[in-house]
Amino acid sequence: MTMSPDTDKIRRFIEDQFLVEFDASFPEDTDLFREGVMDSFGYVQLHRFLEAEYGITFALEDMTGNVLVSLASIRAYVTEKTAARAAS
Amino acid sequence: MCGIVGFLGPASRDPGATGTVSAMLGAIAHRGPDDAGAFLDATCAMGTARLAIIDPALGAQPVCDPGERYWLCYNGEIYNYRELRAELEALGRPFRTHSDTEVLLQAWLQWGEACLPRLNGGFAFALYDRRTATLVLARDRYGKRPLFYAWHRGTFYFASEMKAFLAVPGFGFAFDPDQLAAILGQWTPLPHQTGFSGIDSLPLGTCLTLTETSATLRRFSGIAFDDGPAIGSRGEAIERIRQQMRESVALRLCSDVEVGVYMSGGLDSAIIARLARDALPRLSTFSIAFEDAEFDESAEQQELAAALDTRHSTLRIRHADMVAAFPDAVFHAEVPAFRSAFVPMFLLSQRTRASGVKVVLSGEGADEAFLGYDLFKETRLRADWDSLDEATRTERLAQLYPHLSHYGPQDVAATTGLYQQFSREHLPGLFSHELRFQNGRFSARLLKQAGDPFAAVGRLAAEEPGFAAMTPVEKAQWLEYQTLLPGYLLSTQGDRMALAHGVENRCPFLDPAVVALASAVNLRFDDGFEEKALLRAAFADCLPSSVVRKRKFPYRAPESAAFASLRPDYLELVLSEAELAKLPFIDQRFARALAQKVLSRDPAEISTKENQTFIFLLSIALLNRDFVAGGRRPGAAPQVRIADFRPVPVPA
Repeated sequence: MTMSPDTDKIRRFIEDQFLVEFDASFPEDTDLFREGVMDSFGYVQLHRFLEAEYGITFALEDMTGNVLVSLASIRAYVTEKTAARAAS
Repeated sequence: MCGIVGFLGPASRDPGATGTVSAMLGAIAHRGPDDAGAFLDATCAMGTARLAIIDPALGAQPVCDPGERYWLCYNGEIYNYRELRAELEALGRPFRTHSDTEVLLQAWLQWGEACLPRLNGGFAFALYDRRTATLVLARDRYGKRPLFYAWHRGTFYFASEMKAFLAVPGFGFAFDPDQLAAILGQWTPLPHQTGFSGIDSLPLGTCLTLTETSATLRRFSGIAFDDGPAIGSRGEAIERIRQQMRESVALRLCSDVEVGVYMSGGLDSAIIARLARDALPRLSTFSIAFEDAEFDESAEQQELAAALDTRHSTLRIRHADMVAAFPDAVFHAEVPAFRSAFVPMFLLSQRTRASGVKVVLSGEGADEAFLGYDLFKETRLRADWDSLDEATRTERLAQLYPHLSHYGPQDVAATTGLYQQFSREHLPGLFSHELRFQNGRFSARLLKQAGDPFAAVGRLAAEEPGFAAMTPVEKAQWLEYQTLLPGYLLSTQGDRMALAHGVENRCPFLDPAVVALASAVNLRFDDGFEEKALLRAAFADCLPSSVVRKRKFPYRAPESAAFASLRPDYLELVLSEAELAKLPFIDQRFARALAQKVLSRDPAEISTKENQTFIFLLSIALLNRDFVAGGRRPGAAPQVRIADFRPVPVPA
């Protein structure tokens, strides 16, 4: 049996890092680039956080696939990666 | 260097007109502490506060022609005035002084508006024709010297600095939230913007002609990248750069008072110092050092000063100096600032003036002309992104922003993901600046309603003839010539800080011939990934190798860490609910969250965008206190020589 990762930490990290609050007016599938929330430093910080917190190593091909664009897509990606690692 | 003020319309017929023009001069007396003079007739009043540089004895202003029909108030230097004078004398034009001011007047009388593109220099002036009651305002092509204007109670007012309007009876300042959104988004005002409602900046390279019933704005010069000479080889390019820079520095050493050099420790000012030292028997150089090692370049400065044998002066900046000078520096800047690096320049001009030097050369303009910024490399990389293989992308990413830790090799996967997002144009025409503007979007969240912060700059680009046909790098350069260069480097960090203490700054890299030459050689003999490669090669044999080899190290200064550690009283302006309420357009919740985070966390946790946004917020709050709420009153009116042509009232 595998445990789902606690991806709420990602939400808290993004809220703290980018001074936003996810709610009905700012849903989790918001494109953080298009909304002007994500900047270069913050994006790299987020990337480092995910690597450290969930033990994920990002490959270059992952990064050209628009995976770190919204909280929803990041949650899905982290869940998938950790599940794949547990299964291997 | 000087400051000019004036007005056209009913106020000039007011009995208080003399007092108003004198008080306006008093508000900008720091720009010209040596002398003040004014002209008035029934339509127009104007005056000059003068910093005497050329022909100190006879160059008093305003100047007029022998028939006293044309009057000129002038701020700036025209470096080719000797050649123009010779040409004008050959045409029979009379001269009474040796000043460039009189050359400008005679050039206007000879050639009219057609003289403007011929002027090599930084200038802003007001020229009035008594016979036709017509006023002309003009400003140089790069925006080196400022000129602001506003309408108030049916009268047109103008001044070198907006603080002169504080001396106009009944004049009120109010922020323009749409302009603030643009400033926050793109870091600086656009050429016509000021951040205040109803106050415009005369755009670069334009000329405004006014009567009491008409106003016409025309552009006399723009930024072009196809007007350079034909250069056949890399060797020829290097030789021409040497020669052109030597000529440009020589022109800017022309002065009747001592000329010094601001030396940052980087390549551009080192070239200027080298060339100035070659031309002068002795040279004074001035540098800023930081107690905070993160920002300090004093090792290179000392090495350079020793190598060039200059009389060197270093001003060491501590956090306490930054915090103490910040409100005064913001008052002089007059527009919201996105970084704090202008504050040490305010203190450096004070030191420079105290040492007896009132003219300095500095390196502004080199990075725009010779592609010194990483922005240009980044633009090339993103534009070519889809056609590059993984290895080339990684190699080029490794060459970008060496001073930013998040561009290190350990983060290449993340930066690849980032560049993937920014490899398509989302803001029409603004592709080159989209990554930068992303930081700006965060700052724009300071406003309750930011709208589209990039609508105005998008329109500016769309309306520029020839913009669409420019290469991605040329578009990036053009945008730099419209935003960061005039809106911050030449103004907030340049003219305003230098003239706050009566120091004139001159920029040899902003000679039109240098800029045209750079356009002719850029990316023709190298791929641009070693920034300013030709410039380095041109001066490699006459500067210390450490300076020639050094990568671009952006000039920056301590930011939120200084405020967090010293907690000056004026932070209340952004921490107190009651104070923030005085800024009705600010999103209080976001502003408070930002201020709390920036002032309470370890500075290492504070990102560039958060620092920038905090400096924006603090500078807006201080400008609100000093300009909008009337917290500062202009200084006392100086002794002003008056030429009064108003009809003498007939006794009742």
